[in-house]
Amino acid sequence: MDNFINQALLKPLELLGHQVLNVLPNVLAMGIILLGGLFTAWVFGSFAERLFRVIGFDHLCDRLGMNAALLRGGVKTDPSRIVGRSIYWTVLVLASIAALGALNLTPINQFAQSLLAYVPHLVTAAVILLAGYFLSNFVSRAVLIAAVNAGLPPARLIAACSRWGIQALAGAMALEQLGIAQHIVVVGFGITWGGIVLAGAIAFGLGAADLAKGFLERRLVARSKSNTVDDLHHL
Amino acid sequence: MTTSLTPLTAPTEARIQDIGSAEILVGIPSYNNADTVGHVVRAVSVGLAKHFPGRRAVLVNSDGGSSDETTAIVARTAIDFEHLFIGDQQSVLHRIVTPYHGIPGKGSAFRTIFEIARRLKAKACAVVDADLRSISPEWIELLLRPIMEEGYDYVAPYYLRHKYDGTITNSLAYPLTRALYGQRVRQPIGGEFGFSGALAAHYLDQHVWESEVARFGIDIWMTTEAIASGARVCQSFLGAKIHNPKDPAADLSAMLMQVMGALFALMEQHECLWSRQEGSQPVPLFGFPYEVGVEPVHVNVERMVSHFRQGLTDLEPIWRQILADDTFAQLHELQGTSSTDCRIPDELWVQVVYDAATAYRKRIMPRDHLLKSLTPLYLGRTASFIYATQGLTSTEAEQKIEALCHTFERMKPYLVERWQPPALQPVVPALLHHATTDAGGDHG
Repeated sequence: MDNFINQALLKPLELLGHQVLNVLPNVLAMGIILLGGLFTAWVFGSFAERLFRVIGFDHLCDRLGMNAALLRGGVKTDPSRIVGRSIYWTVLVLASIAALGALNLTPINQFAQSLLAYVPHLVTAAVILLAGYFLSNFVSRAVLIAAVNAGLPPARLIAACSRWGIQALAGAMALEQLGIAQHIVVVGFGITWGGIVLAGAIAFGLGAADLAKGFLERRLVARSKSNTVDDLHHL
Repeated sequence: MTTSLTPLTAPTEARIQDIGSAEILVGIPSYNNADTVGHVVRAVSVGLAKHFPGRRAVLVNSDGGSSDETTAIVARTAIDFEHLFIGDQQSVLHRIVTPYHGIPGKGSAFRTIFEIARRLKAKACAVVDADLRSISPEWIELLLRPIMEEGYDYVAPYYLRHKYDGTITNSLAYPLTRALYGQRVRQPIGGEFGFSGALAAHYLDQHVWESEVARFGIDIWMTTEAIASGARVCQSFLGAKIHNPKDPAADLSAMLMQVMGALFALMEQHECLWSRQEGSQPVPLFGFPYEVGVEPVHVNVERMVSHFRQGLTDLEPIWRQILADDTFAQLHELQGTSSTDCRIPDELWVQVVYDAATAYRKRIMPRDHLLKSLTPLYLGRTASFIYATQGLTSTEAEQKIEALCHTFERMKPYLVERWQPPALQPVVPALLHHATTDAGGDHG
């Protein structure tokens, strides 16, 4: 009976105890890393937020039109706070991955490594999106001003097309960088643009032949009537 | 400041060595001006022979790589002095025909002229455009004699022009320069100038030759820099200015950007000077003023108003960033008005200019965008001026410009207040409100 108790009950418990004792230092290490990560994330996040606020990052973003864009997207937090929180969460995620690695379990280690390997792609995609946003703003504003100064009636439409075209391109590039349906994105992008151009051409040439004729007549004839050349010397 | 030498070509260096020194230098910047440059060279040569016969003089043609016969014409143009009753020409006129280095543009051409003047130790210099048709030998005397004999450092031109000619000058360059620096230089971007050798050396020492000044904006820069450096400034009456027609396709927004950009950049540079300046003083005028018939100018006002209206609609988000709320609100009220009632009054135009200058300084957006987006506003203001001066004589139109200048001067506290960094702004209400309450009813 004693033998049975030893073999069937106490041995597994002893084994379990050994396993727990083996894992316990790793769990403790994970906890310490997590706590340290939380503290570091808080310090880094707060410091970055204050630093960006002091150097006038909010003002710069305001001038670049970022604040307005954030408001349009329903985000009422100021850019310095966003940067601070981003740094906080980045540090916390990295600390969590390190903490999981401290458990020294093969599947978790593999997961952590693949997660870490994905981070550079995430960062690159974010940079592409951000650069695309700024470039689209800059280009669309330049296009709008040039079109208005040239007296083109659909100036805002042209500017909007340039903005969304650049942002769509940046989005496609970012998705490609993330490895999400790479070919579908590229092909879809090509098909969409090709489709828009073809649809526009067909609509303008066939579906709205009278409208196109009238539009061209109004544009060209009206221009020849009212667009008499100035002799004005501005300087 | 540095006194580094501007690079010149080897033949030009050799020519300067040959000539040694000169008392007078006349510069002609050119680019494909074969049609007119011969006349300009003859006028300069006769002017020097007739009015400065005993002086050692040099004519410098600084060319931007003309593909026509411009430089050859400058080199070979001969003058029959006997038929012009000039018998006592004592000094040979030396000629230097040289390409210029640096950024393509009138400013770089001037830089080469200044450098040659410095090396030849010229006492008095003048520059005249190569596309002039109305230049006469008297222009040379009028541009040089105040320097040679009256002790002035800078001579600005004073032309007779049609009331609709030179609208950027009339609505912006003249009133703003006058309000800022207190000198009533009527044609600050005229194109023809006289200046002393010392002032030419001062120009060369400024670090602007790699900037937009080297490309465009050299005229307003020279005038402003002369005033700011404390040089003695005067004007000379040159009569009517007729020059070769400019390219009709020339981009107005680029032209406006150059002039406004130069004006605003100079405001940043000379802030200490203009922020203390109050009112303005007349600038001495040499020469014999007379009336002359000027060529009629055809304008399409409806197209200008149409451009302005499109700007109000399409550029609203950009203008809201540039202009003060009150300024934009007043502009917005013009949206529903009829074409002839769509006028930008003097006070509102001054607010627009001062707001734009402040926005330029604060870099609220890329400066090119800011300056180019003002084109419809300028066209709206020009249309307003044309409506307001229809049927008026040139003298009466000039009175309207004078009224605009007074408004610029009167509202200058508005600029000073807005220009200051936020931390330094006083808490008192804007002086503009006091200014607008007693504004006259006549709007541009």
